[in-house]
Amino acid sequence: MLMDPALGRVIARWREGDRDAFEEVVDRYGLQLLRTARLILRDEALAEDAIQETFLKAWQRIGSLRDEDPGPWLTRIAMNESISTYRRRHRFQALTERFGRLGGGRREVSSEARLDLAHALGQLNIEQRAAVALHYYQDLSVEETARTLKVPVDTVKSRLKTALRRLRELTGFEEALA
Amino acid sequence: MSDDFEKNLRDHLHHEAEQTREFPRRLRGRIRDGIAPRTRARMVPQLALAGALVLVAVAVLAFRNPTIINVVTTGIKGLIEPSPTPAPQPFLCQDQTGGSAGVTATLTNIRPGSHASDGYDRVVFDFNGGIPSWDLTRQESATFTRDASGQQVTLDGSAGFKLVLRAADVAGGVPSDLSPRYTSIREVAELGNFEHQLTYGFGLSSSQCVRVLQLSNSRLVVDVATNGSASTTAAPTPLPTITPSGTDVSAFSCVDHSGGTNTGPAMLLTAVRVAHQTGFDRIVFEFAPQAGATAHIPAYTVSRQASAKFVKDPSGLPVTMRGSSGLRIIFHGASGADTYTGPRDFTPNLPVVQEVEQLGDFEAVLSWGAGLSQASCIRTLELSNPTRVVIDVQTP
Repeated sequence: MLMDPALGRVIARWREGDRDAFEEVVDRYGLQLLRTARLILRDEALAEDAIQETFLKAWQRIGSLRDEDPGPWLTRIAMNESISTYRRRHRFQALTERFGRLGGGRREVSSEARLDLAHALGQLNIEQRAAVALHYYQDLSVEETARTLKVPVDTVKSRLKTALRRLRELTGFEEALA
Repeated sequence: MSDDFEKNLRDHLHHEAEQTREFPRRLRGRIRDGIAPRTRARMVPQLALAGALVLVAVAVLAFRNPTIINVVTTGIKGLIEPSPTPAPQPFLCQDQTGGSAGVTATLTNIRPGSHASDGYDRVVFDFNGGIPSWDLTRQESATFTRDASGQQVTLDGSAGFKLVLRAADVAGGVPSDLSPRYTSIREVAELGNFEHQLTYGFGLSSSQCVRVLQLSNSRLVVDVATNGSASTTAAPTPLPTITPSGTDVSAFSCVDHSGGTNTGPAMLLTAVRVAHQTGFDRIVFEFAPQAGATAHIPAYTVSRQASAKFVKDPSGLPVTMRGSSGLRIIFHGASGADTYTGPRDFTPNLPVVQEVEQLGDFEAVLSWGAGLSQASCIRTLELSNPTRVVIDVQTP
Protein backbone atom coordinates (compact mmCIF):
# COMPACT_ATOMS: atom_id res chain seq x y z
CA MET A 1 0.00 0.00 0.00
CA LEU A 2 1.48 3.35 -1.04
CA MET A 3 1.94 6.10 1.50
CA ASP A 4 0.81 9.65 1.21
CA PRO A 5 3.86 11.93 0.94
CA ALA A 6 3.36 13.51 4.39
CA LEU A 7 3.30 10.12 6.08
CA GLY A 8 6.30 9.10 4.01
CA ARG A 9 8.25 12.04 5.43
CA VAL A 10 7.25 11.06 8.98
CA ILE A 11 8.43 7.50 8.38
CA ALA A 12 11.69 8.76 6.91
CA ARG A 13 12.31 10.80 10.08
CA TRP A 14 11.43 7.79 12.20
CA ARG A 15 13.98 5.72 10.28
CA GLU A 16 16.60 8.28 11.28
CA GLY A 17 15.74 7.81 14.94
CA ASP A 18 13.45 10.84 15.35
CA ARG A 19 11.33 10.07 18.43
CA ASP A 20 8.84 12.84 17.66
CA ALA A 21 8.14 11.27 14.29
CA PHE A 22 7.64 7.92 15.96
CA GLU A 23 5.16 9.46 18.38
CA GLU A 24 3.23 10.85 15.43
CA VAL A 25 2.90 7.28 14.20
CA VAL A 26 1.74 6.17 17.66
CA ASP A 27 -0.89 8.91 17.60
CA ARG A 28 -2.03 7.95 14.14
CA TYR A 29 -2.37 4.19 14.59
CA GLY A 30 -2.43 3.64 18.35
CA LEU A 31 -6.13 3.92 19.08
CA GLN A 32 -7.24 1.59 16.29
CA LEU A 33 -4.66 -1.01 17.32
CA LEU A 34 -5.59 -0.70 20.99
CA ARG A 35 -9.27 -1.15 20.21
CA THR A 36 -8.55 -4.24 18.15
CA ALA A 37 -6.32 -5.72 20.84
CA ARG A 38 -9.01 -4.96 23.43
CA LEU A 39 -11.58 -6.87 21.36
CA ILE A 40 -9.28 -9.84 21.10
CA LEU A 41 -7.90 -9.95 24.62
CA ARG A 42 -11.11 -8.89 26.44
CA ASP A 43 -8.90 -7.19 29.01
CA GLU A 44 -7.89 -3.55 29.03
CA ALA A 45 -4.59 -4.00 30.87
CA LEU A 46 -3.47 -6.89 28.66
CA ALA A 47 -4.42 -4.93 25.55
CA GLU A 48 -2.32 -1.98 26.69
CA ASP A 49 0.62 -4.30 27.39
CA ALA A 50 0.31 -5.82 23.93
CA ILE A 51 0.18 -2.43 22.21
CA GLN A 52 3.09 -1.13 24.26
CA GLU A 53 5.15 -4.10 23.10
CA THR A 54 3.90 -3.60 19.55
CA PHE A 55 5.22 -0.06 19.34
CA LEU A 56 8.48 -0.88 21.11
CA LYS A 57 9.11 -3.66 18.62
CA ALA A 58 8.13 -1.38 15.76
CA TRP A 59 10.61 1.24 16.99
CA GLN A 60 13.38 -1.35 17.01
CA ARG A 61 12.43 -2.98 13.72
CA ILE A 62 11.80 0.02 11.53
CA GLY A 63 14.45 -1.40 9.23
CA SER A 64 12.11 -4.22 8.27
CA LEU A 65 9.32 -1.85 7.15
CA ARG A 66 9.32 -1.51 3.41
CA ASP A 67 8.33 1.66 1.62
CA GLU A 68 4.64 1.24 2.35
CA ASP A 69 1.89 2.31 4.71
CA PRO A 70 2.94 1.03 8.14
CA GLY A 71 -0.67 0.22 9.14
CA PRO A 72 -0.77 -3.42 8.01
CA TRP A 73 2.78 -3.97 9.32
CA LEU A 74 1.83 -2.57 12.73
CA THR A 75 -1.39 -4.59 12.75
CA ARG A 76 0.57 -7.74 12.05
CA ILE A 77 2.90 -7.06 14.96
CA ALA A 78 -0.04 -6.16 17.19
CA MET A 79 -1.84 -9.40 16.40
CA ASN A 80 1.25 -11.43 17.19
CA GLU A 81 1.75 -9.51 20.39
CA SER A 82 -1.90 -9.89 21.40
CA ILE A 83 -1.87 -13.63 20.85
CA SER A 84 1.53 -14.02 22.55
CA THR A 85 0.41 -11.90 25.48
CA TYR A 86 -2.73 -13.95 25.86
CA ARG A 87 -0.82 -17.23 25.72
CA ARG A 88 1.68 -16.07 28.28
CA ARG A 89 -1.03 -15.00 30.70
CA HIS A 90 -3.39 -17.88 30.08
CA ARG A 91 -1.13 -20.83 29.49
CA PHE A 92 -3.52 -23.38 30.92
CA GLN A 93 -6.51 -21.92 29.14
CA ALA A 94 -4.60 -21.86 25.87
CA LEU A 95 -3.70 -25.51 26.37
CA THR A 96 -7.28 -26.57 26.88
CA GLU A 97 -8.33 -24.54 23.86
CA ARG A 98 -5.70 -26.22 21.72
CA PHE A 99 -6.59 -29.74 22.69
CA GLY A 100 -10.29 -29.26 23.21
CA ARG A 101 -12.07 -28.55 26.40
CA LEU A 102 -11.41 -30.94 29.24
CA GLY A 103 -14.21 -33.43 29.65
CA GLY A 104 -14.69 -33.49 25.87
CA GLY A 105 -17.68 -32.53 23.84
CA ARG A 106 -19.29 -29.18 23.42
CA ARG A 107 -21.60 -28.13 26.16
CA GLU A 108 -25.19 -27.55 25.25
CA VAL A 109 -26.31 -24.07 26.06
CA SER A 110 -29.56 -23.84 27.93
CA SER A 111 -31.77 -20.83 27.42
CA GLU A 112 -30.86 -19.67 30.92
CA ALA A 113 -27.18 -19.78 30.06
CA ARG A 114 -27.47 -17.79 26.86
CA LEU A 115 -25.01 -14.95 26.71
CA ASP A 116 -24.98 -11.56 25.16
CA LEU A 117 -22.53 -11.05 22.34
CA ALA A 118 -19.88 -9.46 24.56
CA HIS A 119 -19.73 -12.47 26.82
CA ALA A 120 -20.08 -14.90 23.94
CA LEU A 121 -17.02 -13.38 22.27
CA GLY A 122 -15.12 -14.17 25.44
CA GLN A 123 -15.92 -17.84 24.94
CA LEU A 124 -14.12 -18.03 21.60
CA ASN A 125 -10.50 -19.04 21.52
CA ILE A 126 -7.87 -16.38 20.93
CA GLU A 127 -7.27 -17.29 17.28
CA GLN A 128 -10.98 -17.13 16.48
CA ARG A 129 -11.32 -13.76 18.21
CA ALA A 130 -8.37 -12.40 16.25
CA ALA A 131 -9.97 -13.49 12.96
CA VAL A 132 -13.35 -12.05 14.00
CA ALA A 133 -11.86 -8.73 15.09
CA LEU A 134 -9.84 -8.27 11.90
CA HIS A 135 -12.64 -9.33 9.56
CA TYR A 136 -15.67 -7.77 11.24
CA TYR A 137 -14.15 -4.81 13.08
CA GLN A 138 -11.22 -3.78 10.91
CA ASP A 139 -13.16 -4.89 7.81
CA LEU A 140 -10.21 -6.76 6.38
CA SER A 141 -11.00 -9.29 3.66
CA VAL A 142 -10.45 -12.96 4.40
CA GLU A 143 -7.26 -12.79 2.35
CA GLU A 144 -6.00 -9.73 4.21
CA THR A 145 -6.87 -11.35 7.53
CA ALA A 146 -4.89 -14.42 6.51
CA ARG A 147 -1.88 -12.30 5.57
CA THR A 148 -2.07 -10.38 8.83
CA LEU A 149 -2.27 -13.53 10.92
CA LYS A 150 0.19 -15.35 8.67
CA VAL A 151 -2.05 -18.35 8.25
CA PRO A 152 -3.62 -19.88 5.13
CA VAL A 153 -6.86 -18.40 3.78
CA ASP A 154 -8.67 -21.67 4.44
CA THR A 155 -7.64 -21.49 8.08
CA VAL A 156 -9.19 -18.04 8.41
CA LYS A 157 -12.38 -19.25 6.71
CA SER A 158 -12.53 -22.17 9.10
CA ARG A 159 -11.93 -19.98 12.15
CA LEU A 160 -14.61 -17.52 11.10
CA LYS A 161 -17.12 -20.24 10.34
CA THR A 162 -16.52 -21.97 13.65
CA ALA A 163 -16.62 -18.68 15.53
CA LEU A 164 -19.93 -17.63 13.98
CA ARG A 165 -21.49 -20.99 14.67
CA ARG A 166 -20.36 -20.84 18.28
CA LEU A 167 -21.55 -17.26 18.74
CA ARG A 168 -24.96 -18.10 17.32
CA GLU A 169 -25.20 -21.05 19.63
CA LEU A 170 -24.13 -19.11 22.70
CA THR A 171 -26.46 -16.21 22.03
CA GLY A 172 -29.39 -18.36 20.96
CA PHE A 173 -29.64 -16.49 17.70
CA GLU A 174 -30.72 -19.46 15.55
CA GLU A 175 -33.29 -20.58 18.09
CA ALA A 176 -34.79 -17.12 18.20
CA LEU A 177 -35.34 -17.27 14.45
CA ALA A 178 -37.16 -20.59 14.62
CA MET B 1 -30.45 -14.65 8.14
CA SER B 2 -26.79 -15.14 8.78
CA ASP B 3 -26.28 -11.69 7.23
CA ASP B 4 -28.36 -10.27 10.06
CA PHE B 5 -26.21 -12.00 12.60
CA GLU B 6 -23.03 -10.83 10.97
CA LYS B 7 -24.39 -7.29 10.84
CA ASN B 8 -25.24 -7.50 14.53
CA LEU B 9 -21.78 -8.79 15.25
CA ARG B 10 -20.13 -6.02 13.24
CA ASP B 11 -22.23 -3.36 14.96
CA HIS B 12 -21.50 -4.84 18.35
CA LEU B 13 -17.74 -4.91 17.74
CA HIS B 14 -17.70 -1.28 16.64
CA HIS B 15 -19.83 -0.27 19.60
CA GLU B 16 -17.59 -2.18 22.02
CA ALA B 17 -14.40 -0.83 20.45
CA GLU B 18 -15.59 2.75 20.64
CA GLN B 19 -15.89 2.45 24.39
CA THR B 20 -12.13 2.96 24.29
CA ARG B 21 -12.46 6.63 23.41
CA GLU B 22 -8.83 7.68 23.23
CA PHE B 23 -5.31 6.38 23.34
CA PRO B 24 -4.44 6.51 27.06
CA ARG B 25 -1.89 9.11 28.05
CA ARG B 26 -0.22 6.66 30.43
CA LEU B 27 0.27 4.18 27.59
CA ARG B 28 1.80 6.86 25.40
CA GLY B 29 4.14 7.66 28.30
CA ARG B 30 5.12 4.01 28.73
CA ILE B 31 5.97 3.78 25.06
CA ARG B 32 7.93 7.03 25.18
CA ASP B 33 9.89 5.77 28.18
CA GLY B 34 10.52 2.48 26.40
CA ILE B 35 12.24 4.13 23.46
CA ALA B 36 14.08 6.78 25.51
CA PRO B 37 15.75 5.15 28.51
CA ARG B 38 15.90 7.33 31.59
CA THR B 39 19.16 9.26 31.59
CA ARG B 40 21.24 10.59 34.42
CA ALA B 41 20.19 14.13 33.53
CA ARG B 42 16.65 13.29 34.60
CA MET B 43 17.98 12.20 37.99
CA VAL B 44 19.65 15.53 38.73
CA PRO B 45 16.91 16.86 41.04
CA GLN B 46 16.83 13.60 43.00
CA LEU B 47 20.63 13.50 43.28
CA ALA B 48 20.74 17.13 44.42
CA LEU B 49 18.18 16.43 47.11
CA ALA B 50 20.10 13.32 48.26
CA GLY B 51 23.36 15.33 48.38
CA ALA B 52 21.74 18.07 50.43
CA LEU B 53 20.42 15.52 52.93
CA VAL B 54 23.90 13.98 53.26
CA LEU B 55 25.47 17.39 53.92
CA VAL B 56 22.88 18.16 56.60
CA ALA B 57 23.54 14.80 58.26
CA VAL B 58 27.33 15.40 58.20
CA ALA B 59 26.90 18.87 59.69
CA VAL B 60 24.81 17.49 62.56
CA LEU B 61 27.36 14.74 63.24
CA ALA B 62 30.29 17.17 63.11
CA PHE B 63 28.58 19.42 65.60
CA ARG B 64 28.19 16.52 68.02
CA ASN B 65 31.56 14.85 67.30
CA PRO B 66 34.26 17.01 65.56
CA THR B 67 36.49 13.99 64.77
CA ILE B 68 33.94 12.92 62.20
CA ILE B 69 35.28 15.70 59.97
CA ASN B 70 38.58 13.82 59.51
CA VAL B 71 36.74 10.68 58.54
CA VAL B 72 34.58 12.53 56.04
CA THR B 73 37.45 14.49 54.47
CA THR B 74 39.48 11.30 54.11
CA GLY B 75 36.53 9.67 52.40
CA ILE B 76 35.98 12.62 50.07
CA LYS B 77 39.70 12.73 49.28
CA GLY B 78 39.54 9.09 48.31
CA LEU B 79 36.61 9.81 46.06
CA ILE B 80 38.06 12.77 44.20
CA GLU B 81 41.65 11.60 43.83
CA PRO B 82 42.33 9.60 40.71
CA SER B 83 42.38 5.89 41.31
CA PRO B 84 45.62 4.08 40.57
CA THR B 85 46.00 3.17 36.95
CA PRO B 86 44.92 -0.44 36.59
CA ALA B 87 47.47 -2.93 35.42
CA PRO B 88 47.31 -3.18 31.64
CA GLN B 89 45.26 -6.08 30.43
CA PRO B 90 46.97 -8.53 28.12
CA PHE B 91 45.91 -9.21 24.59
CA LEU B 92 44.26 -12.60 24.42
CA CYS B 93 44.29 -14.98 21.51
CA GLN B 94 40.98 -16.59 22.40
CA ASP B 95 37.25 -15.95 22.50
CA GLN B 96 36.19 -13.55 25.24
CA THR B 97 33.03 -12.57 27.06
CA GLY B 98 32.00 -9.86 29.49
CA GLY B 99 29.57 -7.06 30.30
CA SER B 100 26.56 -7.15 32.59
CA ALA B 101 23.59 -9.39 31.91
CA GLY B 102 21.14 -7.03 33.62
CA VAL B 103 22.06 -3.99 31.56
CA THR B 104 19.92 -2.73 28.71
CA ALA B 105 21.92 -0.22 26.71
CA THR B 106 21.76 1.89 23.59
CA LEU B 107 24.80 2.06 21.34
CA THR B 108 25.32 5.73 20.55
CA ASN B 109 28.57 5.74 18.58
CA ILE B 110 31.42 3.67 17.18
CA ARG B 111 34.82 5.34 16.99
CA PRO B 112 37.88 3.75 15.38
CA GLY B 113 41.38 4.98 16.12
CA SER B 114 44.86 3.87 15.16
CA HIS B 115 47.43 3.42 17.93
CA ALA B 116 49.91 1.63 15.71
CA SER B 117 52.86 3.21 17.51
CA ASP B 118 51.62 1.53 20.71
CA GLY B 119 51.07 -1.74 18.96
CA TYR B 120 47.34 -1.87 18.45
CA ASP B 121 44.31 -0.55 16.56
CA ARG B 122 41.30 0.50 18.59
CA VAL B 123 37.52 0.69 18.14
CA VAL B 124 35.41 2.28 20.89
CA PHE B 125 31.73 1.46 21.33
CA ASP B 126 29.92 4.22 23.25
CA PHE B 127 26.77 3.24 25.11
CA ASN B 128 24.06 5.03 26.97
CA GLY B 129 22.96 3.06 30.02
CA GLY B 130 25.96 0.85 30.79
CA ILE B 131 27.92 -1.86 29.06
CA PRO B 132 25.66 -4.74 28.03
CA SER B 133 26.53 -8.40 28.03
CA TRP B 134 28.90 -9.12 25.14
CA ASP B 135 30.95 -11.88 23.64
CA LEU B 136 33.68 -11.92 21.07
CA THR B 137 34.21 -14.93 18.83
CA ARG B 138 37.26 -15.19 16.62
CA GLN B 139 37.28 -16.84 13.22
CA GLU B 140 39.72 -17.74 10.48
CA SER B 141 38.15 -15.67 7.72
CA ALA B 142 36.58 -12.26 7.15
CA THR B 143 33.36 -13.79 5.85
CA PHE B 144 30.38 -13.54 8.19
CA THR B 145 26.73 -14.48 8.16
CA ARG B 146 24.31 -11.63 8.65
CA ASP B 147 21.87 -11.95 11.52
CA ALA B 148 19.04 -12.52 10.80
CA SER B 149 18.88 -12.57 7.01
CA GLY B 150 21.47 -15.32 6.76
CA GLN B 151 23.26 -13.54 3.91
CA GLN B 152 27.00 -13.93 3.65
CA VAL B 153 29.11 -10.82 3.83
CA THR B 154 32.84 -10.63 3.32
CA LEU B 155 34.69 -7.78 4.97
CA ASP B 156 38.09 -6.42 4.09
CA GLY B 157 40.81 -8.69 5.45
CA SER B 158 41.71 -12.32 5.79
CA ALA B 159 40.63 -13.02 9.38
CA GLY B 160 38.11 -11.61 11.76
CA PHE B 161 35.99 -11.79 14.83
CA LYS B 162 32.39 -11.23 15.72
CA LEU B 163 31.24 -9.04 18.60
CA VAL B 164 27.73 -9.76 19.91
CA LEU B 165 26.07 -7.20 22.20
CA ARG B 166 22.99 -8.43 24.06
CA ALA B 167 20.07 -6.41 25.37
CA ALA B 168 21.32 -3.57 23.22
CA ASP B 169 19.78 -1.30 20.64
CA VAL B 170 21.43 1.16 18.33
CA ALA B 171 20.66 4.85 18.15
CA GLY B 172 20.06 6.59 14.85
CA GLY B 173 23.14 7.85 13.09
CA VAL B 174 25.53 5.19 14.31
CA PRO B 175 27.55 4.04 11.29
CA SER B 176 26.77 0.54 10.14
CA ASP B 177 29.99 0.07 8.18
CA LEU B 178 33.40 1.58 8.83
CA SER B 179 36.49 0.96 6.74
CA PRO B 180 39.40 2.48 8.67
CA ARG B 181 41.84 0.22 6.83
CA TYR B 182 44.32 0.35 9.71
CA THR B 183 47.23 -2.02 10.09
CA SER B 184 45.08 -4.71 11.75
CA ILE B 185 41.48 -3.51 11.71
CA ARG B 186 40.43 -3.17 8.11
CA GLU B 187 36.65 -2.98 8.38
CA VAL B 188 33.90 -3.01 11.01
CA ALA B 189 30.34 -3.71 9.88
CA GLU B 190 26.99 -4.26 11.53
CA LEU B 191 25.94 -7.85 10.91
CA GLY B 192 22.66 -7.81 12.78
CA ASN B 193 20.23 -5.77 14.81
CA PHE B 194 17.61 -8.25 15.85
CA GLU B 195 15.65 -8.84 19.06
CA HIS B 196 17.77 -6.46 21.12
CA GLN B 197 20.95 -8.12 19.95
CA LEU B 198 23.54 -6.23 17.96
CA THR B 199 26.23 -8.07 16.07
CA TYR B 200 29.34 -6.50 14.56
CA GLY B 201 31.95 -8.14 12.40
CA PHE B 202 35.58 -7.06 12.36
CA GLY B 203 37.64 -7.72 9.27
CA LEU B 204 41.35 -8.04 10.14
CA SER B 205 44.40 -8.02 7.93
CA SER B 206 45.58 -11.18 9.68
CA SER B 207 44.71 -13.25 12.71
CA GLN B 208 45.60 -11.12 15.74
CA CYS B 209 45.04 -11.19 19.49
CA VAL B 210 42.47 -8.90 21.05
CA ARG B 211 42.10 -6.91 24.26
CA VAL B 212 38.67 -5.75 25.41
CA LEU B 213 38.43 -2.97 28.02
CA GLN B 214 35.31 -1.85 29.83
CA LEU B 215 35.83 1.79 30.70
CA SER B 216 33.87 4.41 32.61
CA ASN B 217 31.13 6.36 30.86
CA SER B 218 29.85 3.13 29.33
CA ARG B 219 32.65 2.63 26.84
CA LEU B 220 33.59 -0.75 25.48
CA VAL B 221 37.02 -0.64 23.89
CA VAL B 222 38.26 -3.29 21.49
CA ASP B 223 41.99 -3.23 20.82
CA VAL B 224 43.51 -5.46 18.16
CA ALA B 225 47.23 -6.08 18.22
CA THR B 226 49.19 -4.99 15.17
CA ASN B 227 51.56 -7.70 13.98
CA GLY B 228 52.02 -9.11 17.45
CA SER B 229 53.80 -6.01 18.68
CA ALA B 230 51.38 -4.89 21.38
CA SER B 231 53.41 -3.88 24.38
CA THR B 232 51.48 -5.72 27.04
CA THR B 233 50.77 -8.91 25.28
CA ALA B 234 52.07 -12.34 25.20
CA ALA B 235 53.03 -13.15 21.64
CA PRO B 236 49.92 -13.64 19.57
CA THR B 237 49.27 -17.22 18.75
CA PRO B 238 47.38 -18.41 15.74
CA LEU B 239 43.72 -19.20 16.04
CA PRO B 240 43.18 -22.64 17.47
CA THR B 241 42.45 -25.10 14.74
CA ILE B 242 40.25 -27.93 15.84
CA THR B 243 41.18 -31.03 13.98
CA PRO B 244 38.12 -32.88 12.85
CA SER B 245 37.74 -36.31 14.29
CA GLY B 246 35.23 -39.08 13.87
CA THR B 247 33.94 -40.79 10.81
CA ASP B 248 32.54 -38.32 8.30
CA VAL B 249 33.56 -34.92 9.47
CA SER B 250 34.90 -33.37 6.32
CA ALA B 251 32.18 -30.72 6.37
CA PHE B 252 32.80 -29.50 9.93
CA SER B 253 33.92 -25.91 10.01
CA CYS B 254 34.46 -23.33 12.72
CA VAL B 255 32.33 -20.60 11.11
CA ASP B 256 28.67 -19.64 11.12
CA HIS B 257 26.42 -21.62 8.80
CA SER B 258 23.32 -20.70 6.83
CA GLY B 259 21.03 -22.22 4.25
CA GLY B 260 17.45 -22.91 3.21
CA THR B 261 15.03 -20.51 1.57
CA ASN B 262 12.37 -18.18 2.91
CA THR B 263 9.75 -18.76 0.23
CA GLY B 264 6.13 -19.80 0.44
CA PRO B 265 4.06 -20.43 3.56
CA ALA B 266 5.89 -20.91 6.82
CA MET B 267 7.10 -24.43 7.56
CA LEU B 268 5.78 -25.96 10.76
CA LEU B 269 8.13 -27.34 13.39
CA THR B 270 7.03 -30.82 14.43
CA ALA B 271 9.97 -32.29 16.32
CA VAL B 272 13.29 -31.46 17.92
CA ARG B 273 15.75 -34.21 18.78
CA VAL B 274 19.13 -34.16 20.46
CA ALA B 275 21.51 -37.13 20.61
CA HIS B 276 25.18 -38.08 20.61
CA GLN B 277 26.77 -39.99 17.76
CA THR B 278 30.34 -40.99 17.18
CA GLY B 279 32.36 -37.82 16.86
CA PHE B 280 29.55 -35.33 17.25
CA ASP B 281 26.38 -34.30 19.09
CA ARG B 282 23.40 -33.97 16.77
CA ILE B 283 20.49 -31.53 16.99
CA VAL B 284 17.62 -32.19 14.58
CA PHE B 285 14.79 -29.81 13.73
CA GLU B 286 11.99 -31.52 11.80
CA PHE B 287 9.40 -29.60 9.81
CA ALA B 288 6.17 -30.23 7.92
CA PRO B 289 4.57 -28.00 5.27
CA GLN B 290 1.22 -26.34 5.81
CA ALA B 291 -1.82 -27.97 4.20
CA GLY B 292 -1.54 -27.65 0.44
CA ALA B 293 1.95 -26.15 0.55
CA THR B 294 5.17 -27.64 -0.73
CA ALA B 295 7.87 -28.72 1.70
CA HIS B 296 11.09 -26.75 1.73
CA ILE B 297 13.99 -26.12 4.06
CA PRO B 298 13.25 -22.84 5.83
CA ALA B 299 15.97 -20.21 5.72
CA TYR B 300 18.25 -20.67 8.69
CA THR B 301 21.39 -19.34 10.29
CA VAL B 302 23.53 -21.06 12.89
CA SER B 303 25.73 -18.52 14.67
CA ARG B 304 28.54 -19.47 17.01
CA GLN B 305 29.06 -17.37 20.11
CA ALA B 306 31.56 -17.34 22.95
CA SER B 307 29.07 -17.73 25.78
CA ALA B 308 25.91 -19.59 26.67
CA LYS B 309 23.97 -16.38 27.24
CA PHE B 310 21.00 -15.66 25.01
CA VAL B 311 18.05 -13.30 24.83
CA LYS B 312 14.48 -14.53 24.59
CA ASP B 313 12.15 -13.31 21.86
CA PRO B 314 9.82 -11.46 22.36
CA SER B 315 10.28 -10.87 26.08
CA GLY B 316 13.92 -9.76 25.77
CA LEU B 317 14.71 -11.62 28.96
CA PRO B 318 18.27 -12.92 29.26
CA VAL B 319 18.72 -16.69 29.37
CA THR B 320 21.88 -18.40 30.50
CA MET B 321 22.08 -22.02 29.42
CA ARG B 322 24.42 -24.67 30.64
CA GLY B 323 27.90 -24.53 29.18
CA SER B 324 30.44 -21.88 28.30
CA SER B 325 29.82 -21.46 24.60
CA GLY B 326 26.78 -21.45 22.40
CA LEU B 327 24.97 -21.68 19.10
CA ARG B 328 22.11 -19.43 18.08
CA ILE B 329 19.83 -21.03 15.53
CA ILE B 330 17.30 -18.88 13.68
CA PHE B 331 14.73 -20.08 11.15
CA HIS B 332 12.90 -17.61 8.94
CA GLY B 333 9.51 -18.64 7.64
CA ALA B 334 8.98 -21.27 10.32
CA SER B 335 6.89 -21.67 13.45
CA GLY B 336 6.10 -24.35 15.98
CA ALA B 337 3.45 -22.46 17.93
CA ASP B 338 0.60 -24.73 16.90
CA THR B 339 2.42 -27.86 15.85
CA TYR B 340 5.33 -28.51 18.14
CA THR B 341 4.26 -30.14 21.39
CA GLY B 342 7.61 -31.48 22.62
CA PRO B 343 9.86 -29.95 25.25
CA ARG B 344 11.13 -26.44 24.62
CA ASP B 345 14.11 -26.89 26.92
CA PHE B 346 16.37 -29.96 26.70
CA THR B 347 19.25 -30.66 29.07
CA PRO B 348 20.72 -33.77 27.44
CA ASN B 349 24.15 -33.42 29.06
CA LEU B 350 25.95 -34.76 26.00
CA PRO B 351 29.72 -34.43 25.56
CA VAL B 352 29.36 -30.91 24.12
CA VAL B 353 25.67 -30.02 23.82
CA GLN B 354 24.57 -29.26 27.36
CA GLU B 355 21.23 -27.59 26.75
CA VAL B 356 18.91 -26.76 23.85
CA GLU B 357 16.11 -24.27 24.42
CA GLN B 358 13.59 -22.38 22.35
CA LEU B 359 14.27 -18.65 22.45
CA GLY B 360 11.40 -17.36 20.40
CA ASP B 361 8.60 -18.04 17.95
CA PHE B 362 7.38 -14.74 16.62
CA GLU B 363 6.21 -13.53 13.23
CA ALA B 364 7.34 -16.78 11.59
CA VAL B 365 10.83 -16.31 12.99
CA LEU B 366 11.69 -19.32 15.11
CA SER B 367 14.81 -19.20 17.24
CA TRP B 368 16.55 -21.73 19.45
CA GLY B 369 19.79 -21.69 21.37
CA ALA B 370 22.24 -24.39 22.35
CA GLY B 371 24.59 -24.23 25.31
CA LEU B 372 27.90 -26.00 24.65
CA SER B 373 30.57 -27.17 27.07
CA GLN B 374 33.23 -25.78 24.73
CA ALA B 375 33.56 -23.90 21.46
CA SER B 376 33.19 -26.49 18.72
CA CYS B 377 33.12 -26.69 14.98
CA ILE B 378 29.80 -27.53 13.37
CA ARG B 379 28.27 -28.80 10.19
CA THR B 380 24.71 -28.51 8.94
CA LEU B 381 22.78 -30.98 6.82
CA GLU B 382 19.51 -30.40 4.98
CA LEU B 383 17.47 -33.57 4.71
CA SER B 384 14.10 -34.39 3.17
CA ASN B 385 11.24 -36.84 3.79
CA PRO B 386 10.63 -35.56 6.36
CA THR B 387 12.14 -32.09 6.03
CA ARG B 388 14.95 -31.70 8.56
CA VAL B 389 17.74 -29.32 9.40
CA VAL B 390 20.51 -31.18 11.18
CA ILE B 391 23.22 -29.46 13.18
CA ASP B 392 26.17 -31.60 14.15
CA VAL B 393 28.44 -30.25 16.86
CA GLN B 394 31.87 -31.79 16.88
CA THR B 395 32.89 -33.57 20.09
CA PRO B 396 36.45 -34.12 21.37
